[in-house]
Amino acid sequence: MPWYSILTVVAVVVVVAAELLWIRSGVFRRPAYWIAIGICATFQIPVDGWLTKLSSVIVIYNPEVFSGIRIFWDSPIEDWGFGFALMTLALALWVRQSDDDSVGSPAAATAAEDGVRS
Amino acid sequence: MRIDQFQYLIVMALCVVVTLPLEFVLGARVYRRPRRLLRTMVPTFAAFVAWDVVAIRLGHWTFSPVYTTGWKVGNIPVEELTFFVVIPLCALLSYEAVQQVRRLGWVGALRTGVLARFLPDPGPGPDPSAADRPTEELV
Repeated sequence: MPWYSILTVVAVVVVVAAELLWIRSGVFRRPAYWIAIGICATFQIPVDGWLTKLSSVIVIYNPEVFSGIRIFWDSPIEDWGFGFALMTLALALWVRQSDDDSVGSPAAATAAEDGVRS
Repeated sequence: MRIDQFQYLIVMALCVVVTLPLEFVLGARVYRRPRRLLRTMVPTFAAFVAWDVVAIRLGHWTFSPVYTTGWKVGNIPVEELTFFVVIPLCALLSYEAVQQVRRLGWVGALRTGVLARFLPDPGPGPDPSAADRPTEELV
């Protein structure tokens, strides 16, 4: 069974659903989020490539659990779903907490208007 | 131990080094918001380490003894634990650096970023750097 493929799709769906229904940071509406994801996905090529290149492999994937599609330096294509889910969860939680100790967040601005120091 | 056994850890260290200027040159202010960083990292780390534990146990992936230290916590190589700290950090630094450049432009981001190195961390109460940081969020 391609468990890594299945779990990657599940992780992406769960993280996107968690953001939309529960965390609600609004990160998907921010251009900076998409730009950062694009930058990180690009840097993932050499980093992931170094870890997965079959000539001197560091992280060894069981060929039975993923699609078999390897891109760039032999990285399973699933890794980009994995990375997207990992980074999106972190960014959603980070942006959601703007209200706490950050200047410049919508919540902080609202709090300031209300005369409340966050 | 041979140097090759540190390859995975060296890759992680390079990720930290390469993204460090985002904090200290462009003024991302991720490391300097430690409580918020901790509240972001703990759930993310927990969720993905849980996946890793299961995947390693089920044999979805294994690790080369040639390029890893062999140091483990339970069945997880310390390299993997490092990965789940370093990669989210890189994402946060990238995001905050992009925000800085979009808000202030390259020159402004560089100016406040480099300047902020010499300013004390704004604690609770009025923020002396508030003037440098517009309150409108980019949406």
